[in-house]
Amino acid sequence: MRSIGARLTFWYALSATVTLAILFLAGYQLLETRLISGLDQLNAAEFQQLRAHLGSDYARLNSEVMAERVRETSESGAVLFYISIEHPGTSTKFKSRNLRGEDIPDIKGKRAYSATMSGIGALRVDEFLLPPFDVTIATSARSVSDGMREYVKVCAALLVAMLVASLGIGLGLSRLLLRPMRAIRETANRIGSDNLSERIPVSNVRDEVTDLALLLNQMFDRLESAFDQIRRFSDEASHELKTPLSLIRLHAEKMLGDGDLPSAHAEAVLVQIEELARLNQIIDEMLFLSRAEAKAIPFDMKPHDPARFLETFAQDAQALAEHNGRSFACAHKGRGRVAFEERWMRQVLLNVLTNALNVSPEGGVVTLASAIEGGTWRVSVADQGPGLAPDQRLRIFERFVRFNTPASGDRGSGLGLTISKSIIDLHGGRIFAEPADGAGGLKVTFEIPTATTSATLAA
Amino acid sequence: MKVLIVEDEVRLGQFLKQGLSEHAHTANWVQTCRAANDALADTKYDLIVLDLSLPDGDGIELVREWRASGFNEPVLILSARDSLEDRIKGLDVGADDYLPKPFSLEELLARMRALLRRQSVVKQTVLERAGIKLDLLGHTVHVNGDPVDLTAREYALLEIFMQNGGRVLTRTLISEKIWSSHYDVDTNLLDVYMSRLRAKMEGAMGKPLFKTVRGIGYQLL
Repeated sequence: MRSIGARLTFWYALSATVTLAILFLAGYQLLETRLISGLDQLNAAEFQQLRAHLGSDYARLNSEVMAERVRETSESGAVLFYISIEHPGTSTKFKSRNLRGEDIPDIKGKRAYSATMSGIGALRVDEFLLPPFDVTIATSARSVSDGMREYVKVCAALLVAMLVASLGIGLGLSRLLLRPMRAIRETANRIGSDNLSERIPVSNVRDEVTDLALLLNQMFDRLESAFDQIRRFSDEASHELKTPLSLIRLHAEKMLGDGDLPSAHAEAVLVQIEELARLNQIIDEMLFLSRAEAKAIPFDMKPHDPARFLETFAQDAQALAEHNGRSFACAHKGRGRVAFEERWMRQVLLNVLTNALNVSPEGGVVTLASAIEGGTWRVSVADQGPGLAPDQRLRIFERFVRFNTPASGDRGSGLGLTISKSIIDLHGGRIFAEPADGAGGLKVTFEIPTATTSATLAA
Repeated sequence: MKVLIVEDEVRLGQFLKQGLSEHAHTANWVQTCRAANDALADTKYDLIVLDLSLPDGDGIELVREWRASGFNEPVLILSARDSLEDRIKGLDVGADDYLPKPFSLEELLARMRALLRRQSVVKQTVLERAGIKLDLLGHTVHVNGDPVDLTAREYALLEIFMQNGGRVLTRTLISEKIWSSHYDVDTNLLDVYMSRLRAKMEGAMGKPLFKTVRGIGYQLL
């Protein structure tokens, strides 16, 4: 059983029912003893009456007179009781008629016992001394066995009722007990990078659950301060680096704007401005990575239809590819919605596409294949470039690692795939490179679980 | 126009003050939140250029206070903090625009002009310039009276240029408007769409219409 609630309910119901069963068993024993001792008392009363009727001269009576006197004892008693009077060693002096000539079973050494007689059934037998005779009086024990059978029936019904009731009570009880746990879980689930200051409510009563909540809250405190540190660092680094960058750029533009620079100098200043833009981009990307690795980036995960998202992206991809003298093919299959942050996912695709276009030969095709199947959205981008060796394929997601860069033009920041990887990680997916199908080339694939929700992300 | 610059970095503050003055603005420069509040109590400004990291407080809080007290002049936030959350936060508390550092003076001026225009001018539905006629309602473009067929992206791009007259538009500004993200700047997607737009427009016009301003952006002549 997976849930504590179900387990609690099960054990509660089991122990309640077993306890009741044990009580019923003890009750059974007590009741039976009580009923039997009642029969013993009846037998004893019958004996007293019998002795009174026989009179003090009983020892000298012959069998007929004795039988007559016994029968006088009580007419009804003759039906209710089985009586036999014996003279030990000699003969039977009297046997009640309802015995039909049979002997009452005798258990040697016992004066009170239960026995069974064929044709009559269960009996309670008591032996009394009336010197020189032994008097044996028996009563039918059917009332006892009938009563006990009824008792068992009632007990069984009560046990079933108890089982049902205790399951219900146990369920309610476990709900009640686990309510603070559920509150903890819900709050902990809600606390993500964007609302780290929220805490689990702690009640005034000190118990195990509040201890747990306090412990978790302390953990969130530490987490929040770690996040804050990274955010502060990111803000400060950003400020410290970008203010001088602004000044360099503003002054460089001023030099150009004044218009009295020799053309060679103007060219040098332009290169400075361009490199400045690159430097700025690298700073942005490094700071993004440091935040992403600390999961300090608020994500706005919404369910999207990948088909529509790719349709929009394909427009831009097509334009980029054509501009570079390459072509772009895009195919999507499968239906469903996937939760992701559109802006970042677009960034991933652009990064991967840019790399693929850079290494593609003139006129080459970059192929994007997307599919939703088996709870996963899988997108792969394959190029027809030279491909990479296995050890290189593992390293391309590291920072500042570049392979197959075009001899001329833009080298990129070397962070594109690292950023792509961190974005995919934040979506709970994975990204990897493998050789493209067919002749050479590289295929970069990422997978995102379609079941990803913001809840699992925050957890 | 009277501009208040709130920037704690001395050299940047000085540069901005001088730069704005050279472009016919009256600029006053202060370094702290307190000084900014004092300056606003004294004089009426048309626009405030505000840095977020100030020695005696956070710029965001300052804007919040201003807006709460009914101060409605446009505020342009200037910040090194580049993350989207800061940008959204800034605009949420009532700032009017957000320009990430490092920026170009051209861009700052362009955005300042845009903010002031937003306040005064009634919105036009047909934009005309240099023989180009752009109908904002019908989404049609005519060059010297002849219709030109543009894709949605090309149209959006042209609209930004038409809205901004003959000014130089930075890559950041254009990317932000079209893709609502400036992270695309590193791919040359913008250049791709620019070259397509240019091919169509200049083909129809028969002469150059756009100018590439290296390191900065583009300009509609």
